Amino acid sequence: MSEFTYGGEYRDMPDPDTCTDKEWAAYVHYRNGAPGLKKEWWYHGPSGTWFIAERDTMTDKISRTYIAGQEEAK
Amino acid sequence: MPLGLLKYALSKEHPAPRFFRDCTEPKKSYDAVIIGGGGHGLAAAYYLAKDFGITNVAVLEKGYIGGGNTGRNTTIVRSNYLTPEGVNFYDASVKMYEDLSQELDLNLFYSTRGHFTLAHTDSAMRTMRWRAEVNKHVGVESRVVGPDEISQACPQLDISCSGQAPIQGALYHAPGSVARHDAVAWGYAKEADRMGVEIFQSTEVTGIDVKSGKVVGVNTSKGYIETNRVLSAVAGFTPRITEMVDIETPIVIHPLQACVSEPMKPWLDTILVSGSLHVYVSQSSRGELVMGSSLDPYEMHSTRSSLDFVEGLTSHIVDMFPFLSNVKVVRQWAGMADLTPDFAPIMGKTPVEGFYLDAGWGTWGFKATPISGKTMAETMARDIAPDLIEPFRLTRFEDYELTGEKGAASVGH
Amino acid sequence: MTGRIAKKRGEWINRDKPLTFEYEGQVVNGYEGDTISSALWAAGIRVLGRSFKYHRARGLLSFANHDVNALMTDGEDTNIRADVWPVSQGMALSAVNTDGGVVKDRNKYIDKLSPFLPVGFYYKTFYKPKSLFPFWEDKIRKAAGLGKVNFNYPRILKPKRYAHCDVLIVGAGASGLSAAVAAAKQGLNVILVDENKQAGGSLTYDFAGDQTTADTLNNLLDEVTSNANIRLITGAYAGGYYTDHLVPIVGVDGITKVRAKTVIVASGVFEQPPVFRYNDLPGVMLGSATQRLINRYAVKPFQKGVVVTANDHGYRTALDMAAVGIEVVAVIDMRRDGAKRDLAEKVTEKGIAVHKGSCIYEVVPASNKMAVKEVVVCHYNEDTAEADPRSAVRLSCDGVAMSAGWAPAAALLYQAGTKMRFDYDVQQFVPDQLPEGVFAAGKVNGVFDLKARLLDGQRAAVEASNYLGNASELITVTNPEMASPSHPYPIVNHPKGKNFVDFDEDIQVKDFINAAKEGFDNIELMKRFTTVGMGPSQGKHSNMNAIRILARIRQLPVEKIGTTTARPFFHPTPIGHLGGRSFHPHRYTAMHQWHVDNGGVMMEAGVWMRPAYYVPAGSHLSASDAVQEEAMAVRQSVGMIDGSTLGKIEVFGQDAAAFLERFYTGKFAGQKVGGSRIAMLLDEAGVMVDDGVAVRMAEDKFYVSTNSSNAATVYREMQRNIQLWGMQVTLVNLTGAMAAMTVAGPASRSVVETLIDIDVSAQGLPDGAYKEGQVAGIDARVMRVSFVSDLAFEIHVPYKAGMHVWQALMAAGKQVGIRAFGTDAQRLLRLEMGHHLVSHDTDGLTNPFEAHSESLVAMDKDFFIGQRSLKIIEKKPLNKKLVTFVLDNGFTGELPKECNLVIENGDIKGRVTSISHSNYLNRIIGFAFVSPEQSKSGSRFQVRTDSGAMVPATVTQAPFFHLLESKGA
Repeated sequence: MSEFTYGGEYRDMPDPDTCTDKEWAAYVHYRNGAPGLKKEWWYHGPSGTWFIAERDTMTDKISRTYIAGQEEAK
Repeated sequence: MPLGLLKYALSKEHPAPRFFRDCTEPKKSYDAVIIGGGGHGLAAAYYLAKDFGITNVAVLEKGYIGGGNTGRNTTIVRSNYLTPEGVNFYDASVKMYEDLSQELDLNLFYSTRGHFTLAHTDSAMRTMRWRAEVNKHVGVESRVVGPDEISQACPQLDISCSGQAPIQGALYHAPGSVARHDAVAWGYAKEADRMGVEIFQSTEVTGIDVKSGKVVGVNTSKGYIETNRVLSAVAGFTPRITEMVDIETPIVIHPLQACVSEPMKPWLDTILVSGSLHVYVSQSSRGELVMGSSLDPYEMHSTRSSLDFVEGLTSHIVDMFPFLSNVKVVRQWAGMADLTPDFAPIMGKTPVEGFYLDAGWGTWGFKATPISGKTMAETMARDIAPDLIEPFRLTRFEDYELTGEKGAASVGH
Repeated sequence: MTGRIAKKRGEWINRDKPLTFEYEGQVVNGYEGDTISSALWAAGIRVLGRSFKYHRARGLLSFANHDVNALMTDGEDTNIRADVWPVSQGMALSAVNTDGGVVKDRNKYIDKLSPFLPVGFYYKTFYKPKSLFPFWEDKIRKAAGLGKVNFNYPRILKPKRYAHCDVLIVGAGASGLSAAVAAAKQGLNVILVDENKQAGGSLTYDFAGDQTTADTLNNLLDEVTSNANIRLITGAYAGGYYTDHLVPIVGVDGITKVRAKTVIVASGVFEQPPVFRYNDLPGVMLGSATQRLINRYAVKPFQKGVVVTANDHGYRTALDMAAVGIEVVAVIDMRRDGAKRDLAEKVTEKGIAVHKGSCIYEVVPASNKMAVKEVVVCHYNEDTAEADPRSAVRLSCDGVAMSAGWAPAAALLYQAGTKMRFDYDVQQFVPDQLPEGVFAAGKVNGVFDLKARLLDGQRAAVEASNYLGNASELITVTNPEMASPSHPYPIVNHPKGKNFVDFDEDIQVKDFINAAKEGFDNIELMKRFTTVGMGPSQGKHSNMNAIRILARIRQLPVEKIGTTTARPFFHPTPIGHLGGRSFHPHRYTAMHQWHVDNGGVMMEAGVWMRPAYYVPAGSHLSASDAVQEEAMAVRQSVGMIDGSTLGKIEVFGQDAAAFLERFYTGKFAGQKVGGSRIAMLLDEAGVMVDDGVAVRMAEDKFYVSTNSSNAATVYREMQRNIQLWGMQVTLVNLTGAMAAMTVAGPASRSVVETLIDIDVSAQGLPDGAYKEGQVAGIDARVMRVSFVSDLAFEIHVPYKAGMHVWQALMAAGKQVGIRAFGTDAQRLLRLEMGHHLVSHDTDGLTNPFEAHSESLVAMDKDFFIGQRSLKIIEKKPLNKKLVTFVLDNGFTGELPKECNLVIENGDIKGRVTSISHSNYLNRIIGFAFVSPEQSKSGSRFQVRTDSGAMVPATVTQAPFFHLLESKGA
């Protein structure tokens, strides 16, 4: 049992009003499955906090974490 | 002692030839290039040669043949799926497996042992019935059985699971089998090679050359190869290949782990799976318990092992078999499973002409090896996917026509 | 005890505690502290087991926890490793995997068949004809395996312990001890672990006839034990290395999970056997095994021995043997030039002959094939690995010590991701690039000289300390000039074979050559085809020689062959240790005890335990009668169910309504305070995920319920979307904090009224309305709901008051015959009402259009989760529809079950998702998925039962109560 729960890749939603059906279907179903540094949702159970982790899916190394929308300017 | 072994005792020189040639220098061009020398890729090469006479084929394997998920899975073969299209497809695979030792002239140790998917809850029992009914409908021998019948087949199983999750019944699937996984790859390699297919190990594909939407060649660590037909059969590496041709898919990679115990005298004759306890277990012909669990919970492109996995798995194993407390786990390992959102593969043509995809095998690729090879060979030879794999086309996601395997929380393996 | 020698300084046995035990029916004496093997060997017993494949007699090999041919059973347990397991008084042991005892083993004939069983033979036979395979398979399975598992062995789970440290040092030999002392001096908190029961590694046995190293050891041990920063754990091994320096330390009493800031691997090396014909006979063992026998257990490995060596260690072994009075017939050195001068002289001074440039061509077994009679010594050509039989000399002896080289115990380094390189100076793989925070020291690092090892430990400690932020001066270690500790190719070809490389799996040199001939000339393929290294010792004594043989076959340097991956576990690890304390958490509601006391049949419902139905004490109700009676009580009078497991979430803040509008399919902006609405949740693909009820408590505050099984996930998704959407909303999860109960049935109002301080009349609290008041003196949230009955009250109170309110309501309802009802009756009641259950009547692909839930979906809203997908799905024809159905009046055939299929013209059109007999309606009713064409009210469809019977059903409207009216018609 882990105190952290994976919440999938963080992805920008296309504008539902302007995107095509195909673009929306791609957003819903397709994923960038290639290895690399990804922004991911993670949930910390004990504190009940969602955060974004930037994790390399090849090495499992996490390089940054922050609350969604509160990413500091790089 | 079978007579076939006599020659080994009587001849001075080891009388067996190479299974396959040691190919090192690829030719300038091939009629087809198959990326991935696992069971699926080698089977596709074999059926291209055998069924369609297409023998000018190169199989390119980054590591060694059968070294990916072919050699890392828990070797279960079954067809007790939830949808008619799923059951039909895997049933065709089971039927091919049954004669495959003879066809490939190699003992694959294909052993039909019966397969129980244990249900510990009412809702699991309902799913078992659903699968049984669909299986029956398609002509596959599956039925719902009660605890007594499970006990009869496996008297050692604690039906109460140490009081933690009493077993209410199971889906019994008579054709459930295990096979020697490596031998499946070797057998296909051997026979494909015999017909002229060239197998290149330690050969990595670094790019796919697409001109005007058509495949024209592949770049490899051993140089450029011209071809206008490429099959990707690389399981956990699929996203890296589809990226080369700029194709989007739903596939994400999660590790799937397994472990084996030390050898003991065989006592477990059937294959047992428990969805609720996330356990599947069988005993190999070496006497080892081969045990697996659910997928790792997050995306990862590596075959590292985790302690969490083996702790979780073994705690459930002792619930089922309390007497195994002091039996030892010898080795754990992992493979990279290529997952789709609807628990079904992605097979067939793609938006790039001449680029064919055999992927999305998640935790059920081994059992589909013969039929995927056969149907992908047909797809490549005719440039049309046969009806059997039509439900698994890539475009189903855009069309919101996912397969019904997603219908029930699918029990893998 | 023929083999026991005089008391030795530092020996590990306690001569004051003699004991006796049985082996294969024979009484054996030993001492406390003996391992099974040391006691048996001291008693002159040489056959400790039979090999896995050929059933050859085997004795002691490594004496270091990889003697896989000496596995025992004590009748209780099996596969006990005799080389390391302590013997105890009264044990009754026998070897595993024999038929008729270890000496007479009826399966030993298989050895004679070995020429017929070439490498991979099983792939090449037994499958023609196909019909015979099951016969052969049965034979193979009977031969397979080692020990017989005891089905009555108790369920033993060992609790896990946890530890943290700055430095975990694996291996308490010279370098590990030295590293520990140095690290502790740097102020670091150290855990030092060693699998042996005493620390010291080779300092406890490799004496070369003089015990000066014992002083070095004592000094180190004093420093270690007196330093409070060092925790020394012996008798436990590091099972593996996992991400972020997580190392499970496996001991007899369980596993300690150590999370370290740095790890120093000082795990040493495994001695590797040279390979020659009959190198597996009992009496042939590794040099370090003889030293351990002599110096730890005071046991003579043999009376008259020969040392075959390809390094200087063989000479040290010979000196240790000579020191205890063993006649050492000769040292046979496979190297042309022999050992360094001082060692060679010491050996010759003892009167021991040294044969340079020679090898053992073969060992000649005694007539019983279970002991050594003599060895045949020949000149050896190091380049061709051929012996020259013309030069053969026979030396009579009863044992052989083998010292040809070492392989690093580098499993943890590999698992941590270390890149290794082959170092030709020491003929060994050594770490090249270590991962962050991981260090190596001592022999595993290619450092063999004792002084250098001690320094290497200090170096590693300083590097670990600097990694943690200190800035101490780095130490450089230079290996002194010395002969290579390992021979590059300690293999002797023999035309008749039986020169074993892997003793677990009985693999000989020719098996590798033949495997390569068949194309398995890649180390991983070779491993899989020959099974080298696949046995319980995981290649500890065989992988290195396999790599060397393959390198020679392919005429490639060793590093081009590479190594196989070393997976956890370092040693086989018990399932009960790994499983630890079985952990199956359950949650109990506030009223749990009442349910149990009143005959509640408790079932798991996710993490909760809930009563499925009640069989009150003294009654003999069947399950189905109980359910029908409970349901009937609700229809005719009143019943009450514990609904505490519902998810209960407060949503408040200025954006609360706007948030729910985006989160759920319905509209909430205009919802009146004190009113409730259905809250249906979809996923992004438009699939139904959950449904609950949202009550508006105030303009900016909602109280939302979820299905029991989804409470945690819905709460989490709410949290995520608040963050994602940046809305001013706060959540409070009251799922565990509030108890909930529903009083339902025509008499429910009269029961509730007696205890409540607010107006709950039809006008005061109409259907769907919400009020706060006191129930039985407790602040309560009260809702008019209609899930199971037209008239029902859902009452939420603080958890602690749950039992009080429940009991008060029960008492108040007694007069009108109130009954508690469980989840089974609830299912029937909601079915009669025509309410589907998400994820019971729907599945992982069901959208609201298929489940008659269009009215809950406000497609005209700006946005909600799943809306855009529904806009796509909306344009497509439906595949299926969920309908309510009834079976024909008076139906008496085989009752269809849930998940029986709807069949039309031989095709699957759908399935039954719910079905039940209703005593109240006296009909069989249910939900089913059918094709859209079959979905109109009045349509008939066919359900196929388990036995294949076709049962007609009629689509009908719900609620089903209209069936009562038409009953007479």
